[in-house]
Amino acid sequence: MDLQKMMDLPGALAAFTYSDKGDLQSHVLREGTELTPQVLDLLARSCVANLAIAGMEARGWEALTGQSGFQPIKGFSVVGLEWSVVVNGNCGVVVKNRDADYEATFNAVQAD
Amino acid sequence: MRIVKQLMAIPGVIAAGEYAYRGDRFSYEGALTDEFARMASIMCRANTLSVNMQSEIFDSFSENCGCRPVQGWIVRGAQLTVCAVGNYFAFIDNRDELLNDVMTIMRAKVGDVQDDLLVNLYARLGGDTKEALY
Repeated sequence: MDLQKMMDLPGALAAFTYSDKGDLQSHVLREGTELTPQVLDLLARSCVANLAIAGMEARGWEALTGQSGFQPIKGFSVVGLEWSVVVNGNCGVVVKNRDADYEATFNAVQAD
Repeated sequence: MRIVKQLMAIPGVIAAGEYAYRGDRFSYEGALTDEFARMASIMCRANTLSVNMQSEIFDSFSENCGCRPVQGWIVRGAQLTVCAVGNYFAFIDNRDELLNDVMTIMRAKVGDVQDDLLVNLYARLGGDTKEALY
């Protein structure tokens, strides 16, 4: 996992890794950002929960509707007022909305 | 419905819709049945409220950290992606650059979601929002 490479994504403010339970394991913060390690720790925990919920919803949706294409989940993002967090697996990136390239960010978290 | 029509005009957008606070009023266009659109509306509303609750927790630890109020969320599936901004949602194909285009249009057309999400969502139904909620 190369967090510095993640920080090269457009608008990246932070990059982080977390355990399967959501414990923050490593992080990089852009200097000057309002984000703190404590917020990243909470973000990581919410990301694990949201990915699990998304997986459950995808499975249920496919079973009920017969529509395929959701599973396996390749990532989840919450779009805040100023920044978005994009996560998949055990890593996440926070990107500034103004500069965000969601495609590239989802691709980056899928690759790792 | 104007935003829904604009979204549906983009190649690769499978379905798009708008839902109200209760999750039981919705409108949509595209490849969904009425029942599936109803389910999608309820799912989007539930997820939106959930991520808003989470953002309030983040905000209590780091005020004005830039996450609140939440504007929307994205679930990236293997071949499909669901985007939700405000009380609009879109099911789209995973085509190159489509996600960025759809998010740009949704953010621009829906506008910034205001601070009180429930009021914001409920206001779409009309009537006295405060009386109905509080």
